[in-house]
Amino acid sequence: MTEFIAAEIRRQIDRFLPKVIKPSRYLGAEWNAVHKEWDSVKVRMAFAFPDVYEVGMSHLGTRILYHLVNSFPEFLCERVFAPWVDMEEKMREKSIPLYALESFRPVNTFDIIGFTLQYEMSFSNILNMLDLAGIPLRAKDRGAEHPWIIAGGPCAFNPEPLVPFIDFFLLGESEEQLPEVLRLIDEQKSNPINREEFLLKLTKVQGVYVPDFYNPVYKSDGRIEKIESDVRVPKVVEKGLVKNLDTAFYPTQPIVPYTEIVHDRMMLEVMRGCSRGCRFCQAGMIYRPVRERSPEVLMKHTEELVRSTGYEEISLTSLSTGDYSCIQPLITGIIGKYEPEKIGVSLPSLRLDSFDVKLAEEVQKVRKTGLTFAPEAGTQRLRDVINKGVTEENLLQAAESAFRAGWSHIKLYFMIGLPTERQEDLDGIVALAKKVVELGTRLGRRNVAVTVSASSFVPKSHTPFQWEPQEPRLSLVEKQKYLKEKLRDRRIKYQYHDVETSFLEAVFAKGDRRLADVLETAVKSGCKFDGWSEHFKYEIWLEALKEHSLDPRFYASRAIDYDDVLPWDHLESGVTKRFLMREHHNALKESRTVDCRFDTCPGCGICPDRGVKIDLKG
Amino acid sequence: MRVRIAYTKLEEAKYIAHLDLAKVFERALRRAGIRLAYSEGFNPHPKISFGSALAVGVEGEREYVDIEVQSEMDLKDMVGRLQEQLPQGIRLLEGRMMNPGAKALMAILNAASYRIRVPMALPISQSQLEEAISAWLGRKEILYVKYSKKGRQEKDIRPWVKSLAGTISGDEVIFDLEVEIGNQGSVRPDEVLGSLREVESLHLDLDQMSIKRTGIYVSYEGLNRSPLEHENSVDSPKTSVQGS
Repeated sequence: MTEFIAAEIRRQIDRFLPKVIKPSRYLGAEWNAVHKEWDSVKVRMAFAFPDVYEVGMSHLGTRILYHLVNSFPEFLCERVFAPWVDMEEKMREKSIPLYALESFRPVNTFDIIGFTLQYEMSFSNILNMLDLAGIPLRAKDRGAEHPWIIAGGPCAFNPEPLVPFIDFFLLGESEEQLPEVLRLIDEQKSNPINREEFLLKLTKVQGVYVPDFYNPVYKSDGRIEKIESDVRVPKVVEKGLVKNLDTAFYPTQPIVPYTEIVHDRMMLEVMRGCSRGCRFCQAGMIYRPVRERSPEVLMKHTEELVRSTGYEEISLTSLSTGDYSCIQPLITGIIGKYEPEKIGVSLPSLRLDSFDVKLAEEVQKVRKTGLTFAPEAGTQRLRDVINKGVTEENLLQAAESAFRAGWSHIKLYFMIGLPTERQEDLDGIVALAKKVVELGTRLGRRNVAVTVSASSFVPKSHTPFQWEPQEPRLSLVEKQKYLKEKLRDRRIKYQYHDVETSFLEAVFAKGDRRLADVLETAVKSGCKFDGWSEHFKYEIWLEALKEHSLDPRFYASRAIDYDDVLPWDHLESGVTKRFLMREHHNALKESRTVDCRFDTCPGCGICPDRGVKIDLKG
Repeated sequence: MRVRIAYTKLEEAKYIAHLDLAKVFERALRRAGIRLAYSEGFNPHPKISFGSALAVGVEGEREYVDIEVQSEMDLKDMVGRLQEQLPQGIRLLEGRMMNPGAKALMAILNAASYRIRVPMALPISQSQLEEAISAWLGRKEILYVKYSKKGRQEKDIRPWVKSLAGTISGDEVIFDLEVEIGNQGSVRPDEVLGSLREVESLHLDLDQMSIKRTGIYVSYEGLNRSPLEHENSVDSPKTSVQGS
């Protein structure tokens, strides 16, 4: 039956596909895509990325889980992305339901749909995709005939605004948990028990958060009084965690798209986690501890990746690749072996203090790629507040290395609106940018170009800054204008983000369950692709908030008390709340905290009793 | 070693955009273990070049690509290995070694033929069809209006059309079209049919049309030749190969 529907969908879209933008997004016929026999497996999963194909396909986690599930003979996994607006319009016009790329089968015929939550501004797309799939948005309106709707990824650490729409969440890394969940779904298919019993069974799997069993109780002023939990489930849900990266699954035969994607290259994951301890950074807190892959395993992965993809570039990915303890021998090894095949190496996330001349020269041997540094703040004082342990000297040295090695374009990332920010911090951004530009010019580089990107600080859950308010909109706009004025120089390009988007991001990043109604209303009024400025409809969001009598400033702009119950207090990243409080204090004292890889343990709480520890290979 | 290959671009491969096609070949060659030649300079480019671009969604029955590889190799082996690594719909038909000085495909290809299938919007008879086509071809100038980013643009498309014929097959009209291509531009098959529908009031359902380019040629004195038999190909045994 579904085979017939799939053939019909294929026939119908073939008629209008030449007229939509980038038809390759919708075909699923790429090199290394996995096409399994529908009837040869027990459980079928659709992996859903709530943004366009080029963004979703650039995400490593999506790649890992897709191939992981397909590595089990009894499961299959297909992909689905948010169709771009032109495609959606045509699909709705012809009543074509959201389908999975590999088989063209409607996603509502799968057993389970897994959404990945990479950023808050994609939440509206999740609801829109469910609607396009013909699946009731709310779990309570769905029955046994509908797929299980699950979600994971960084935003699962505060998924409360999505709770009514999602049956359960996976916290943390799911390489071990997802197959276990699929096995339980297989059991449920052959021997069904009632929904509650089944969900209860799932709570035994580490990392599975079933929101039905937790109930926030609100005070009259809107704050949370307490989060009640069912006696049968743990009070706090603990994240999933891969203990040994060397033995963990890694996809070395990844899909090679036929249209250019955002990160169109091989991805070599050198490590997970980062213990630098930047106080604004959620990834740096929730993916602890640091676990490295050994160079031998990485060279083996590289060889398999090169042979299976034919890509011309390999990216060494992690949260901070310059910190990988074997970075130098790894780069030398890869370049030495693959230079004759013209394969270049790119380092997407370098820290200023770990970037040196030798590294720069090695990397540029084959192909020049862009160079990005993130000082984040303009003065040493503010960099101490956020615990970004780089100095101006680091930046200038790194920039000098880069200019000498032949680069002429450098991108600098900053944030505005950080806690305690003052006028001198803004001037510091300007001064740094000018110093870098002058340095390049002095070193004789022609076409020196420095891009300054300033984003607005968004306080995130599970970070030392989770109690901090976001700076009001108008004053952020003023700061953007000030920087724009001061950075007027033909060698400097100034980029900034829409303040309204950052404001809404802050609302949802620290939001609670009551925002679900707002989300649904906004989506029904046409909100989608909120991360794309041309589609972001701020007024509609404000109206939706008003309709449900919720004040966005309550979430984004309020300084939260240490005593307040946080909407995510029952979700455990492994880093203790006490540590986060201490770090918040240290921030306000402008006091730095060390990295446990190079110094003593600051006691974040991740290692004890979890059978993990920092794992360095160098 | 420079090789000219004829290939198809059919089925789903018709959706691979022209700009992405070089990457598709480059990666397929690397997977096949064939070392490409690269340009010198800051950002080396692989030496892969195509004939005229095929619009997204249009199938090609016989397209051409020039590939330069680092060292001499057996042509048959090369074509066989490359074929295994190409997406479905791209089939290598024929390959030939070229003189290093042979002119680029872009420089010599100057004609293309298309077969277009279009459902009728209202019934059309064979005689109506023939009348419309000959009236259209009889015009000295045919202005086609295009709206693009640059605004309204008008161009005379008649000079580009070498021949046009149509036959009726059930509810469909099948057109055979031959056009000139060159540095100054060309005309697209959908533009020709769009014009035919407007100017001669022919009831075609252009939303449902399917277009296939049946060939691109080196046309000289009324004769269409393949760029593979061009004078610059290397003529000796083992310099050409037929695809399997």
